Amino acid sequence: MADSDGEFVADDMSDDDIMDHTVTDGDPNAARPKGSKPAKRKRDRNGGSKAWEQSRRTWETDLPEESDGMLNLAGYEAERRRRLLRDTTPLQRGIIRHLVLVLDMSFAMAEKDLLPTRYRLALSYAAAFVREYFEQNPISQLAIVGMRDGVALRVSDMGGNPAEHLERLREYEGQDPSGNPSLQNALEMCRGALFHAPSHGTREVLIIYGALLSSDPGDIHDTINNLVAERIRVSVVGLSAQVAICAELCSRTNVGDDSQYNVAMDETHFKELFLALTTPPVNRTKEQSTASLLMMGFPSRTLAPGGTSSYCACHSQPCREGYLCTRCGVKVCRLPSECPACGLTLILSTHLARSYHHLFPLRNWVEVPWAEAARSTACFSCQSPFPEPPKANKEKGKDEAAPAKAPAKGVSESGRYKCQVCDHHFCIDCDVFAHMVIHNCPGCQSQSQQAAAAAAPLTDGVEANGNGHTTNGGMMAIDG
Amino acid sequence: MDAVDVSEHYEVTAADNSPSLLSIVLDTNPRAWAALDSSLSLAQAISNILVFVNAHLAFSNANQVAVIAAHVNRAVWLYPALQHPSSTTVKDNSGDVQMHDASAETSLPPPSANKYPQFAQIESSVFSSIQTLMAETTVQDLDQLTTQLSGALTLALCRINKAAQALSSSDTTLSNAAPVNATAPPPVKGRIVVVSVSDSDPSQYIPTMNAVFAAAHNQVAIDTISLAGDSTFLQQACFNTNGIFLKAANPRGLLTYLMFGLIPDTEARASLITPTHDTVDFRTACFCHGKVVDTGYVCSVCLSIFCTPPDNAECLTCGTVLALGNYGAKPAVLPRKKKKKKKIANGSGREETGSATGTPRP
Amino acid sequence: MSINPSLSLAEYLERLPGTTFKKLYQQPSTTFAIFRRMLPHLAKTFVMRMLFLPHPMTLADLDAWVKPEAKRKKDQSLSILRSLHIVQISAPSKEKPQEIQLMSNFKRSLRLALTGGGNHNSFGVPSSLMVPPEIDLPFLDRYARKKWEDVLHFVVSSVGYKSSLGEGSGPNKGVKELLIAGQLVDRRPNGSLGITQAGFTFLLQEANAQVWTLLLLWLEVLGNNKSSGLDPVDMLSFLFMLASLELGRAYDTNALTEERRNMLPSLVDFGLIYIPQHKRSMFFPTRLATTLTSGGNSLRTISEGSLGLLGGGGTGEQAGSVVIETNYRLYAYTQSALQIAVLALFAKLNMRFPDMVAGRLSRASIRQAINFGITADQIISYLSAHAHEQMHRTAALTNKPVLPPTVVDQIRLWQLENERMKTTSGFLFRDFTDDKDYLDTARFSEEIGVLVWRNDNTRMFFANKHEQIKDFLKSRKKAE
Repeated sequence: MADSDGEFVADDMSDDDIMDHTVTDGDPNAARPKGSKPAKRKRDRNGGSKAWEQSRRTWETDLPEESDGMLNLAGYEAERRRRLLRDTTPLQRGIIRHLVLVLDMSFAMAEKDLLPTRYRLALSYAAAFVREYFEQNPISQLAIVGMRDGVALRVSDMGGNPAEHLERLREYEGQDPSGNPSLQNALEMCRGALFHAPSHGTREVLIIYGALLSSDPGDIHDTINNLVAERIRVSVVGLSAQVAICAELCSRTNVGDDSQYNVAMDETHFKELFLALTTPPVNRTKEQSTASLLMMGFPSRTLAPGGTSSYCACHSQPCREGYLCTRCGVKVCRLPSECPACGLTLILSTHLARSYHHLFPLRNWVEVPWAEAARSTACFSCQSPFPEPPKANKEKGKDEAAPAKAPAKGVSESGRYKCQVCDHHFCIDCDVFAHMVIHNCPGCQSQSQQAAAAAAPLTDGVEANGNGHTTNGGMMAIDG
Repeated sequence: MDAVDVSEHYEVTAADNSPSLLSIVLDTNPRAWAALDSSLSLAQAISNILVFVNAHLAFSNANQVAVIAAHVNRAVWLYPALQHPSSTTVKDNSGDVQMHDASAETSLPPPSANKYPQFAQIESSVFSSIQTLMAETTVQDLDQLTTQLSGALTLALCRINKAAQALSSSDTTLSNAAPVNATAPPPVKGRIVVVSVSDSDPSQYIPTMNAVFAAAHNQVAIDTISLAGDSTFLQQACFNTNGIFLKAANPRGLLTYLMFGLIPDTEARASLITPTHDTVDFRTACFCHGKVVDTGYVCSVCLSIFCTPPDNAECLTCGTVLALGNYGAKPAVLPRKKKKKKKIANGSGREETGSATGTPRP
Repeated sequence: MSINPSLSLAEYLERLPGTTFKKLYQQPSTTFAIFRRMLPHLAKTFVMRMLFLPHPMTLADLDAWVKPEAKRKKDQSLSILRSLHIVQISAPSKEKPQEIQLMSNFKRSLRLALTGGGNHNSFGVPSSLMVPPEIDLPFLDRYARKKWEDVLHFVVSSVGYKSSLGEGSGPNKGVKELLIAGQLVDRRPNGSLGITQAGFTFLLQEANAQVWTLLLLWLEVLGNNKSSGLDPVDMLSFLFMLASLELGRAYDTNALTEERRNMLPSLVDFGLIYIPQHKRSMFFPTRLATTLTSGGNSLRTISEGSLGLLGGGGTGEQAGSVVIETNYRLYAYTQSALQIAVLALFAKLNMRFPDMVAGRLSRASIRQAINFGITADQIISYLSAHAHEQMHRTAALTNKPVLPPTVVDQIRLWQLENERMKTTSGFLFRDFTDDKDYLDTARFSEEIGVLVWRNDNTRMFFANKHEQIKDFLKSRKKAE
């Protein structure tokens, strides 16, 4: 690996973030923290092939084979773990986001290197992105802009309703990509769309860029300067090769951080990069976020009395149930929205709750060695049984068994994963599920805090994992 | 007549008989049950629930159940009961029909010829687990008015997730690990029924909501039958997951409520009219005084909710100095807020507030 | 589209008189089995809702439960409930609205089944004797599979595909005679046995339906033979009881009635139960018996999903093993000579690997199957019943049918090639006096559903029934 395309190897492999953003990293296995298996190394030594020479088809890369032709599922498990092991330091994040998604619809998107075509794939991922974005950021706004025929094209306006965006996206499915893209035009349109975004929210642009050129009417550097002045952050996902202007654009608008520009290697990687942007961005400097206090209404759902229906103020359609603005009493049919009469932001308290897990992430679980494994026979949460500790290995002594089958990093040899707060053991599936979907630790939630304190007197904080709103809050750091 | 009708397509779809996994979360707060004892004792409630469980299992032999107790200080599995480390491990992670491990075998009474074997197994497992649970309850535990609901929900979700994975085995495609494919129907019709008797615990708000969003994400409906207590969170949970929320006015009729209101699973609900959520309380508690408010101030950094702007405009949770946003820019705003506070305190007069504030806005 | 596996059983039950149902519903286990096996999902929900109602409810109330778009489903459910004598609907009358209630027998038995209690012993009396240690689940599965494969081999071998098992290991004489009596195979003039069209239908059914077909045949044969002294109702009831027994548990034969004990040897022949050689007083139900009440595909249960090793219903075929692609290629992951033989009936197999065969469907192979007397529907239902897990998975993910529609359509078209001409007997109407006359009559016949063909230019139409049209024409004449 190292002799082939050394210039792209990030030397600090311990940080998963860096791995994700390494631009044309050759072999994902090598980039997996210390996870390279003997079989892979062999290939790299005698092959030394370039990144683009290696097949990137998922069916070949996802399941690495051992030398005897058996599928190496440990590597697969490592891959799943890698995805969920992320930095769990609570960071200040821009929860209230304003993002413009810019889609390349130029000739370059007709390429078929991503199947079925770049264009079709980008559109379908964009739909997934919209859904995921609003699921993760319910109180945020989104707009979509296209680039084709040298101009910027407004696909959908700034809004908070995923259904509207999806509907507009669907209209473009039948059309073919055409013409040149224009970065400058698109960015200017984004500036316009984000001009009115309030100062407490983020202003972001995400560009999916398939072309290697941009036909601009003026000097794009002026536009970049304006973007910086207006504190708009730009991220780019490239589909063909690295383009200097995109790199500059990203690093200048992200205070010198060049990790926001990535080039997708294959379909899976593209999706990963694309959807990574649904996580709220970290606020790096004080200037990027002006914290402010927002007045919001939390209306309750009410039913019109006696089965009657009345008009809602937002769509002027008759509806039976709705929400009354807590300030002026106007009826709206859908949340979150802004009161059409008095302009108060109306949200459900559950919308706020949905964002909390970004602020207070669930701490990672650790692998359990065989020595500790004996005290559990089944996963605490789903009750599927664990493999039994190998008795033979114990007698022989560890040092013999360990190097013979060194599991990839992040994979527990005993198939158990432990939450360090409550000390319960879990299986890989529950580990993934708890960290990716629930954001709760089943063990911590299943015992009261006194019980947790009694069970684990050594852990400093007795608060349950991921439930640190009151005690953890002070630790939130501004990374600047 | 002589032409082949090409417009007619013969589609072969899998008959929709995907198994349905019912998880019952039983609130076992001893104090609340003691209060209810005159109308419905815990033992009666459990036998009613068991009939409901049997009814669910009767639908198809692919259906499964799990029963979880949300106790005052922990959440535990009642069925399938946690296997003890000493007993022989059964290589069988369904743990459902093939419960043949030593401990279960010895504790089981001789099977009766008058009962479906599976029903008898569940019954004995639930009763023995709940006895152990009650025996382990200490006097201090009785002080608590709330239960570990979030834990029980989390456990139930983990199990449904595991069952779904075992069925779909989507693990060959890594891309599915990312929760994107929300349109495809889940391989298991998961459902959680909560039998609630106690209040919602405000300190569990975030974990409970996390569980609710996970349920909504996995298309698992959370149904609630509330026998006593004020279960605001569960009301919101049912609303968010398209579940049914029933408030039992007469707890004695638990079986009827269960059999009538909660028997249809997600498949049957597609063709049945379900009770609507008429009014759902979505007001929230502020972080500073714990008051329930309908209009509040939210810190843009940490999303803490305050009933009044905090002193020195400094967020009490994260310590950030907050600008008063575009709302508080004008000094005229401050007296307005005080007025509002009073209005909220007496809870009525929303319309008046609206008219009073509507005009001075710039 | 697929042939409902319970169809034949449903037909059988529907033919039974109401008094028989009364007798059947005496036993909780029978009630329970009929409820589980015979009812569509919505009907089950209805039954459960009505189960604990003390009084009959009005039909109008029932209508109010159902969404308007699901009315057809509701009507279907109700008609099944009525035909199985589960509900009772009062006759329509002026003064009282129509009421619906569960039959008291059914209600009592189902309640007993759910709550337990009573002293009906209908869920089997377990044997108190020691269970021989060698009889475990895998043993029973092997046993059942062997028995059932013998039966199938006997049927299929008559096509000329020799079974891999040695001669003389076929099913018992009684079973052979039953198969002949049921016309699944028939004796050719030269003394050999040949498969019939019904035999093909039988072969292509899935395991569960095959078992029922054979059992019903058996009931019918015994029912006609008065001298056997067996009551078909009691036998049916016993079969349903078998279905509610627990796999792997020993039951006491002495607790059975004399008639039922007499049935045991036949059931042993079918492989539904196992009786140890030296302990004649106990019997073990096999998987074939305990899955009698599970509808077809539900063999893909959760436990199967994780175990996945036991053949569905013990036929030696994996629950799903056939992959069919849009290009008509067919792959079957199987080692079973039986399944390969069945596949060879309608597909051209051209490769065989240790655990897989590959082949393709072609016009010739389907034609050959049709000449055997197999219909396209049977082939399609066989393919869908044996579709590989992967097919189900992709179908679920993409919301598409399990089998590729092109293949399904083509199989039907290939069959239609043989049926270019179809005769319908009926009446030709022509020589109408004027256009209006013709149009009105034609429209009328279309409305009542007897119109087969019409040609407006020549003012002719063809209907398969004429009585109503005659009346219509008469009344028209009168009006003039």
